[in-house]
Amino acid sequence: MSGSILVISYVLVAVFLVGFVVRSVRLATMPVHLRWELAPIPHEKGKGHYGGSYLEELDWWTKPREKSLVAEAKYMLLEIVFLKAVWEHNRRLWWFSFPFHFGLYLLVTAAAVMVIAAIGSVTGVAMATAPSVRMVCTIIAAGGYALGAIGAVGLLVKRAMDPRLRGFTSPAAVWNLVLLLGVFATGLGAVAGTAYFGNVTAYVGALLTANAGAPIPAMTTAHVGLTLLFLAYLPFTKMMHFVAKYFTYHEVRWNDEPMTAGSPMEREVQELLAQPVSWAGPHIHADGKKNWVDLATEEVGK
Amino acid sequence: MSATVRVKDISKRAGEVLSPVELQDLVPLPPPYDRLEDQPTWKELSASAKQDTACTLDGVVASSLPTPKNAVEEQEYVDKFVDGLRKSFEKNNNWTFLQPLTLSLEYCVKCQTCSDACPIFVGSGGNDIYRPTYRSEVWRRLVAKYVKPGGKFFARFTEGDIDLNWTAITRLYELSYRCTLCRRCAQACPIGIDNGLITHELRKVFSQELGWAPRELHEKGTVLQLEVGSSTGMNPVVVKDNIEFIDEDTSEQTGVTVTSPWDKEGADVLLIHNAGEILSWPENPAAFAIILNAAGIEWTLASNEIGYDGVNYGLFYDDVQLARIALKHVQTAKKLKVKKIVMGECGHQHKAMMTIADRILVGDMRIPRESCLPLLEDIVFSGKIAFDPSKNDFPVTLHDPCNIVRNLGIVEPQRRILRYLCPQFREMAPHGIDNYCCGGGSGFAVMSGNNFADWRVSVAGRIKFKQILEAFGDQPGPEVKKYLCAPCSNCKGQFRDMLQYYGALEKSGITYGGLVELIVNAMVDVKEPFIKWEMH
Repeated sequence: MSGSILVISYVLVAVFLVGFVVRSVRLATMPVHLRWELAPIPHEKGKGHYGGSYLEELDWWTKPREKSLVAEAKYMLLEIVFLKAVWEHNRRLWWFSFPFHFGLYLLVTAAAVMVIAAIGSVTGVAMATAPSVRMVCTIIAAGGYALGAIGAVGLLVKRAMDPRLRGFTSPAAVWNLVLLLGVFATGLGAVAGTAYFGNVTAYVGALLTANAGAPIPAMTTAHVGLTLLFLAYLPFTKMMHFVAKYFTYHEVRWNDEPMTAGSPMEREVQELLAQPVSWAGPHIHADGKKNWVDLATEEVGK
Repeated sequence: MSATVRVKDISKRAGEVLSPVELQDLVPLPPPYDRLEDQPTWKELSASAKQDTACTLDGVVASSLPTPKNAVEEQEYVDKFVDGLRKSFEKNNNWTFLQPLTLSLEYCVKCQTCSDACPIFVGSGGNDIYRPTYRSEVWRRLVAKYVKPGGKFFARFTEGDIDLNWTAITRLYELSYRCTLCRRCAQACPIGIDNGLITHELRKVFSQELGWAPRELHEKGTVLQLEVGSSTGMNPVVVKDNIEFIDEDTSEQTGVTVTSPWDKEGADVLLIHNAGEILSWPENPAAFAIILNAAGIEWTLASNEIGYDGVNYGLFYDDVQLARIALKHVQTAKKLKVKKIVMGECGHQHKAMMTIADRILVGDMRIPRESCLPLLEDIVFSGKIAFDPSKNDFPVTLHDPCNIVRNLGIVEPQRRILRYLCPQFREMAPHGIDNYCCGGGSGFAVMSGNNFADWRVSVAGRIKFKQILEAFGDQPGPEVKKYLCAPCSNCKGQFRDMLQYYGALEKSGITYGGLVELIVNAMVDVKEPFIKWEMH
């Protein structure tokens, strides 16, 4: 590893962290919106399985809300791990989308183990990683690269050949898949060499200790470098949908929280209702000064 | 089917129809509706309508548009549209849906998983412009190119190429009225992207910034409602007269004395109907009155403000109009000091008042609001009314209004009633939260100008009609009378037009109506059959 590669690696990690946090925080801090829930809402205890909600109850506001977080977790698990919606509604795509995503999950798992091992190694907290862990982690990574590569190639072919997808595929979408395919291919190359686990943990260790002199094989450098480049690019793409998905489900589809007196939500909405409106439609009567309350309560059409 | 339509084509070939609807492409219907030559022909567009650039989307016209005098005026509208796009992402102007809109616009990976969930796309035989992602993608590319910094250069790489011109915005405006906002596509999306929401937001840009909205929803809808009290045009005097007439007529026909109380202070229930029921389906408010009186419920109707019409078309196209009407409803309830508002059989009223308006009702504007369906279930199973289910011994199927079922999760109360009172009740496939829209959702049921009614019935409602026929497939002939239960005014409006269009009463013996009519028909105390086997 050279000094310049070390510096570039730091920059890429920093860009990833800042981009990831900024984009996630931006989504998390958006103002409360009007209710837009959509059945099924799995946390509705005893009702979620058929799509029912608490609004089925007579005088629902007098009854305690019963939620099942287990049902919600089960729903999300099937959706995230197995891409249930794609399986049910777009089977032709699932055969490539599933291995692509599952490959990524395997790689995240392997990466987490290797980062922990590297931290343990440089801090001296952990003992040397057991050979069996190294072997299992390498196999997981190899599986991840292989599945990811199969999925990426399949998705590229689908996007090129399937008329349903071709017209909606942007250059960026193609580039995203090509970049990831590069990550998977170099990963396979790194796994095919010797001491994959040790080389990657050594790279991470070099970053942790700012050791530009650490001996890292060229293939590992190419692979980890490309992975870091991908990570730095990730927050600025649609591939952040794994973060967005939390909000589309929990903050939109499943957010059936009714307004209650004195709640933080009520205070926030009161502030939002005081915002000036500047829509130009003639029936709105906005002038950039009147707020939502002014416009909604004025006598119109009389 | 015409050739594949690309997203960027929306702004090209001005004056040509971008993707015409061809009847031979539509999904086939079962016999006796399978012969193209037997199906009604579509209304011919007038010469003046054909001159209208807005008919260049698919040859259908949902709404008229201003006609710019020259290119400069066209550009002014285009610029205003860009202003509207920008305001959609401003917290002060669009906090109401900023987060859902941002999520759906920025994170769709365009996998088309949603396409086959859309009854309009499928019913059309796969017309590209009806794909749930098509209009969303147009908007997404326009935002990327014309709103985001550096978009003129970067957008072609990040999202894809597109141009904005008068042709594009007029087609896009029409296209925003080719989706019923049923949100079946959103249910199918693995990421949670909501193309129905994007359509909703697009309609808002046209209305709130350019002042463009279909006449039936705006001038004759929310504006009329705010002016006189109801989108039907009925003022308080007329509505009271009509209800009095309905009460008298129903008393005479059923032998049960029917009285509807007005403006009773402190009542347990303020019942708000879709006022369209009073004019088009008077048996529905009559049935409610019979049931509530028989159950001893302390209830009232309201004659002030717009408290006698639960319609709120603002839900479909304009947040400000939505808020104005919702607040009037609540003010009415507050004035009467009722304990709760109960929605009549109207789907969009349920959604507008129970969930969408929920978070703008702050401080003393809060009042409990619930669906009529749990209340009816409670009454039916309370033992207060004697029923004879054999009086309903005919095939019955249930339509699930999207706004009540998919959007609010009110699935079972109506089913428990039907399983108890209708021995031949059968479900459609699919049903419940997986139902198909009637094709009249999002205001379509009241939109019939030019050739839009033909499109609404034969394209938007096609999958639903097929589903109804299949539900009664074991007894397809007209000799067996069948009842399509649709507890929603707008759905009933669509079914009236659909069943008449195909002659389904004569050919298949299918009529339609609400839930309360079936309940009253099964009441022991109501001696004469309440359901009339006629098209109304």
